[in-house]
Amino acid sequence: MQAEGPIKPFPSHTGQDLDKRLLDLLSKKPFSKSTIVIRLSVLILAILTMYAFVSFDYKDVKLLDALLLTMDNLKIMFFEPHLKHFTFTQALYQVSITLGLAFLTTIFGAIIALMLGLLAAGNISTKPLSIVIKGTVALIRAVPTVLWVLIFAVAAGLGSVAAVIGMTFHSISYLVKAYSESFEEIDKGAIEALQASGANWWQIVFQVVIPSSITYIISWTFMRFEINFAVAVAMGAAAGAGGIGFDMFMASGFYFDLSEIGAITYFILIIAICLEIFATHIKRKLKVLS
Amino acid sequence: MTTLLEVKNVSKHFGNDTKALSNIDFSVKEGEFVSIIGPSGAGKSTLLRCINRMIDASSGDIIFDNDHVYELNKRELKKVRRKIGMIFQHYNLVNRLSVIENTLHGRLGYKSTLAGILGLHSEDEKLQAANILQILGLEDQLYKRSDELSGGQKQRVGIARALIQNPKLLLCDEPIASLDPNSSKVIMDHLRNICTSMGITVVVNLHQVDVALKYSDRIIGVNSGKIVFNGTSQNITSSDIHQIYGSDEGKLIFDLGGSHVG
Repeated sequence: MQAEGPIKPFPSHTGQDLDKRLLDLLSKKPFSKSTIVIRLSVLILAILTMYAFVSFDYKDVKLLDALLLTMDNLKIMFFEPHLKHFTFTQALYQVSITLGLAFLTTIFGAIIALMLGLLAAGNISTKPLSIVIKGTVALIRAVPTVLWVLIFAVAAGLGSVAAVIGMTFHSISYLVKAYSESFEEIDKGAIEALQASGANWWQIVFQVVIPSSITYIISWTFMRFEINFAVAVAMGAAAGAGGIGFDMFMASGFYFDLSEIGAITYFILIIAICLEIFATHIKRKLKVLS
Repeated sequence: MTTLLEVKNVSKHFGNDTKALSNIDFSVKEGEFVSIIGPSGAGKSTLLRCINRMIDASSGDIIFDNDHVYELNKRELKKVRRKIGMIFQHYNLVNRLSVIENTLHGRLGYKSTLAGILGLHSEDEKLQAANILQILGLEDQLYKRSDELSGGQKQRVGIARALIQNPKLLLCDEPIASLDPNSSKVIMDHLRNICTSMGITVVVNLHQVDVALKYSDRIIGVNSGKIVFNGTSQNITSSDIHQIYGSDEGKLIFDLGGSHVG
């Protein structure tokens, strides 16, 4: 390959003319709405914060005393933990119930969300269907999990059934968003290539979409499992779903036993840390693979 | 030789006023190697995709292998698409899958939905895939993940995926635009051999005029959605090329003389 003809130089202008034109162009800086909105928001938030601190009703609580008392409570919780109303093995059993609740709702949620996520992903579904599913799911997600459990408690009665249904419901809405966005991220070229070779929708989904986004699917599902564990603890207390959360509710609401709350908190912390370590480990392995 | 592909009066516009193609008319004989050249945005990719209806043309008719492509229903269209292999600039492989899995994707159109979902392939198909990959010089990479390959190797997997469809026609959308000169030559040699020894018709979109002249039987020049040149690569003149690219000052980077020799 050869280039013919001489190399074309930069266009040359007379100095004065050029400066004038450039200044003219520079002065036409576009009016940016977003900068003004951001600055205004920061200013308003700063003023509101200052006003709040001035106008708080502190009653007779002295800041220092309150701080010391809180410290004392924390000391009792974390430095003198003990189990009085149940044994260590019982506590372990209760934790496993909470874990089971989290696991069950995550699995249910993941299976249903996978299907709905495929239908909600803009690149492999139709536009109206995608909008309908995404809209519904956004509405469901806007209501907190606890509220869904309490809503289902009307029909199922307060307890584990309501907790499972409510938590699954919210897990679905969360995972549909996560999954469908992962599906939308994948390279559309491979989908196009298989469409061009005559493959059908199901084949494309299982041969391109899922293999390409499997790391995201696993990582989001695990993320939701961690959230569901935390929610399952709260559900034990708020909805009588059993597990370690219920024991905590009893220890605080009935026995006022700070030491026992401390012990239970340690239990939950240890489990949470274990989950976190496990999740990081899995994610690292997936990264190596991907 | 019989006519394999006939494009009759095809137009395509996006929205109301953006006209991508207007009144495109040409035909391709069986076993021909045709290059479509033209400036960026001239409608080359759109034209190629109108042939297998990856993009639906606004008007006109396309006859492929005695089928009126625009009168087919979904199921019949899939059957026609099986006979048309497609190769892309960015290879469009599934990165996380192996070379042979990507190659076997070309067979999905022939399978039942369930077999496709589970990725069940017969021994015959696997052997055929390995055979094609061997012809293309990838027999040592069978189980390598496709994102570990170089660009040229990925494009060869793309070709393998198209070939295992047993196509009558290969549509190549700028197959060498992202490759270095050496890999480009390997790919173009393969495409030429596919055409000559397997008798598969090849239609290629190209940016490299010299490559187009060297490899193809016929050149179709496209500019602003219209065919401005349609003839053999021997008959093309320097002024034809300037007309295709619409260059105002008559200066382009290409070498006409050398390619006729080679």
